[in-house]
Amino acid sequence: MIVAGVDIGSLSSEAVILVDGEIVSYSIIPTGADIQKAARTCMQEALERAHLKFEDVSTTVATGYGRISVPFATKTVTEITCHARGAQRLSPNTRTVIDMGGQDSKVISIDTDGRVLDFVMNDKCAAGTGRFLEVMAGALEVDLAEMGERSARARNGVVISSMCTVFAESEVISLIAAGCSKNDIIRGLHEAISKRIFAMAGKLRMERPVTMTGGVAKNKGIVDALRRLLKGEIHVPEEPQIVGALGAALSA
Amino acid sequence: MAPRVIKGLLRSGFALELAKGAAKWSYRKESRAFKLWLDFLFDSMKRGFRRERPVVWISAFTPSEIPYAFNLDPMLPEVIACLAAHMGASDSAISMAEQRLYSTDLCSFYRCGVGLALGEYLPKPDLIISTSHLCDGAHRFFHNMSQLFGCDHYLIDVPYGNGGRDRAYLVDELYDLADFIEKRTGLHLDEGRAAEVIELSNRTRQIMLEINELRRRIPSPFSGSEGMSYVLGMNFCTLGSQLGLAFYRALQGMIQERASGGEGIIGEEKYRLLWLHHIKPYYPNAIFDILEGHGAVVSFEEANHVYWDPMDPRHPLESLATKLLSNFGCGPIEHRIRAILEMAGKYRINGAIHFSHWGCRQSCGGSHMVRDAMRERGIPVLVLDGDGADVRNYSEGQTRTRLEAFIEMLG
Repeated sequence: MIVAGVDIGSLSSEAVILVDGEIVSYSIIPTGADIQKAARTCMQEALERAHLKFEDVSTTVATGYGRISVPFATKTVTEITCHARGAQRLSPNTRTVIDMGGQDSKVISIDTDGRVLDFVMNDKCAAGTGRFLEVMAGALEVDLAEMGERSARARNGVVISSMCTVFAESEVISLIAAGCSKNDIIRGLHEAISKRIFAMAGKLRMERPVTMTGGVAKNKGIVDALRRLLKGEIHVPEEPQIVGALGAALSA
Repeated sequence: MAPRVIKGLLRSGFALELAKGAAKWSYRKESRAFKLWLDFLFDSMKRGFRRERPVVWISAFTPSEIPYAFNLDPMLPEVIACLAAHMGASDSAISMAEQRLYSTDLCSFYRCGVGLALGEYLPKPDLIISTSHLCDGAHRFFHNMSQLFGCDHYLIDVPYGNGGRDRAYLVDELYDLADFIEKRTGLHLDEGRAAEVIELSNRTRQIMLEINELRRRIPSPFSGSEGMSYVLGMNFCTLGSQLGLAFYRALQGMIQERASGGEGIIGEEKYRLLWLHHIKPYYPNAIFDILEGHGAVVSFEEANHVYWDPMDPRHPLESLATKLLSNFGCGPIEHRIRAILEMAGKYRINGAIHFSHWGCRQSCGGSHMVRDAMRERGIPVLVLDGDGADVRNYSEGQTRTRLEAFIEMLG
């Protein structure tokens, strides 16, 4: 049986194709302004990589904030359930999932079958999300993908006090003007975001093992900062950005 | 409509009569209970603006029986703020308060109340009464309003405990309040009238209990969305009045009819939810539609739980003191948790939504303890952070994700 999962996030969209329960292909593209176009494009790319056609897919499940706008979806499931299922599939012992996406962050408690027991999400503020890091990378004039590596090279601790995206951007600019190194500032940003996520996780009865998903999980600096706070290992899947789409496909 | 025109209409009894007629026509398909709510709103505004009697503002948790015992109509700015939010007018009132340097961290219902007061959309009070229990911001707001309007404010200080000394302290205060009202208004607290008000309140309470009994039925014969809007408004405003009794009788008739026919508020009821806290978002929003679209019904609300015993009409003020102290929201959080767990069992609840209103310490502070206690009994709880009156703090996408994920958890 061929099924698909499509995760339409605020920054990126992903599609995963499963054939008899096994991942055969996936795609990741920027969402842009047109959700329907993004959904079609990422699905098309994933299908091409698997040498399949739209008609071959029996069920497509959409997730992510744009899930209700995917015209070819058979059904929709929230990203909270999908990240839980996807993470449990990739790391079967997982009991807590930390998903840091483009516009929100979530901490999800799951049971042995990948069912959601409880969850918390960031409130209306974008701090601790991919968008926050993207804005900070812009203010620092560094490549987003370099941030993890740069924070590992930090020598001094810099404290970022502001978590409002706009104010943090000004704070970063002030720190650059004060002569702080970019690497130190990046590490300070990672520490600040991680503290916020750590506080959010404290609202749940967090159990281990912990898996981290979402685009931000590719940032080694954030993962390391969280590891230090949680005082334990965090499993990061090989491609953490497709976990939501995988969970959607598993929900078919 | 221009603000000046709205103000003019509010001050004109004839225009308010016309507006009442128009509202009743546009809501003609609504229940008799809903129409009684409209009557109450328009008539109390009309009497207030005409200044037929002294205008008494009270806070949501002040016993409405007290003003009724003096033949005074209570006016509740918090309830009017809910209505303003429902009509899409709260944002301009809130903005007016913020221009006067009221912090955005202050409860939006009070910011809205400040804006409505500053804009002269509320009848000017001659006297203000509020309580210290449950709502942290109320007495500050009402004190501030008393300064603005140059009238007296009586704060009923409700003790934390509910022992004999606490009750004696509160009884003394209520006698002092009665003296205070007499001196400020020239009206006398007549024992016979006070007994009659307590009797009316008791009769209304009995009907409320019978309504709540009907609400145990599956499928749910009444919507929590309505329970949290005009029903709660009438609960705050009309206990101890003939209108309150008539309202609850009409509501009972409607719910009884639905329950007898086995009629639920949605086609297929999959999940029964309990709504926790005294607030829901009152501006236009999709919360209850999203829930009901997934087969989840708010079968009961904590806010409509009848927690007090029948009162003794021979001892009105003593009885009201006992009623105030028996509120499960007073004292340690364990009181509230115990009451909520009882409700969860009684109404056969599958899950609960704790609406944590921005700026409300009472709701945010206890939410996670309530959640943990319910989870221990296997009842999932969604702590839904939000704002009851300020639409600027509402995001439908974010709210939808939380609600749908919660429903997926229940499934």
